Amino acid sequence: MKKQYAFLVDTERCIGCFTCAMACRNYYHQVEGVVWRQVHPLSEEIYPHRERAFLSLSCNHCENPACLNVCPVEAYTKREEDGVVVHHQEKCIGCGNCIRSCPYGAPKYNPVEKRAEKCSLCHERLDAGLDPACVQACPTDALQLIDLAEFERTNEVQYPAGYPRMEGLNPSTRFVLPKTPKMVRR
Amino acid sequence: MQSMELPLVLFTVFSQAAIGVTLMRAVRTTADGAGSVDNDARREWGLIAGLMAFGMLGSLFHLGHPLSAPMALKHLGTAWLSREVLFAGMFTVVTVLAVLAAGKAGKPVLAWIGTLLGLGVIVSAGMTYAPPALPVLNNALPFTFFLASAVILGAGFGSWFAEGERARLMARIFTTALVVGLVLNLAAPCVWLSGGTVMRMTGQAWLGSGFYWAHVLVLAGCLGVVWKTGTVPAWLPVLALLGELAGRAGFFADTIHTAANMGGLY
Repeated sequence: MKKQYAFLVDTERCIGCFTCAMACRNYYHQVEGVVWRQVHPLSEEIYPHRERAFLSLSCNHCENPACLNVCPVEAYTKREEDGVVVHHQEKCIGCGNCIRSCPYGAPKYNPVEKRAEKCSLCHERLDAGLDPACVQACPTDALQLIDLAEFERTNEVQYPAGYPRMEGLNPSTRFVLPKTPKMVRR
Repeated sequence: MQSMELPLVLFTVFSQAAIGVTLMRAVRTTADGAGSVDNDARREWGLIAGLMAFGMLGSLFHLGHPLSAPMALKHLGTAWLSREVLFAGMFTVVTVLAVLAAGKAGKPVLAWIGTLLGLGVIVSAGMTYAPPALPVLNNALPFTFFLASAVILGAGFGSWFAEGERARLMARIFTTALVVGLVLNLAAPCVWLSGGTVMRMTGQAWLGSGFYWAHVLVLAGCLGVVWKTGTVPAWLPVLALLGELAGRAGFFADTIHTAANMGGLY
């Protein structure tokens, strides 16, 4: 398997503090209303406990990205060296086809630029040997950067409940599921 | 409720009307295998070209950068939107050529070329609007909706240019397409109600939508008028067009995206 960078979301460790989302915003200063990383609480049907569990999600840098396939102007590329899906905003004509097509809602419309944009896995930071801003900022190590070609843990899943199953796209994000909380009875 | 995408509503409905009229012209002028009584070719091709030009113009307002629209032809390899733009462009060129070339009798070959290119537009539009992010439409349904619209509007407006037996033929096709459109529109949301969460949400959104019911009522009303009169009155295609516009606005506004339920059961 070729090198494929991906996010590992450890929902057991995630405390829903939104630091990852804020770090992304601090780093890129997206315009109001445009969010590249969002923290979604799992519904009580999925995690029926007083404690909450969260999915921190942004672009999944899919193996077969819908955004790249549907873009009429070839504004998306997938990097050979690490599988990161990059949006080249200067090529975008703002047709919204990627926004309509991505089942994870990763591309967003920038109403100021009148073009789409999305998480680039901080590829310029990766090239400089740094972690993405969201990964670096996570206080509990719940969000990690992994290379799927070398990843050896066995307790992760690709499609947890609360996340659309899209086998044709093969999203790269992996998840560690939350455990049932311990009940202490007196 | 999402955006109703008015420019896309105008583009899809008006282009499908143009394609439908072209298809009906091809059918009508070759219906008996011996050519046709065809005294109004330039006016009919003028209507087709006008509908298509209006739709194409409307589509530009959907883009953030309309002047870069020709760049949308770059990704013909995998992007159905690029293919849709290509087919729509070629269809428009054929309609303009037909207006210029048409005398009183017109050229049947242009109608058939236009029909083939028009079907290319409908197929590629059907694929463009069937993304994985919209589970209820990630199938052949958009194509069938678009084809039904094309035939309804084509037979409706085509009846303006038909007389005698051919007018009755247009009325029969119009009636059949209305029945198909009505069945499709009534069945689809009911089927979605028994699907997964996002499908059910979409079914509920459609059934609670004014756009949806306006479309269904117009289809049923048109059917009633044709049944009562046995012909297609001149005003009826305009009513059908308004119904299709309402239905298409609902198609875009009331179809739920998978990302709307992130963190919930799918």
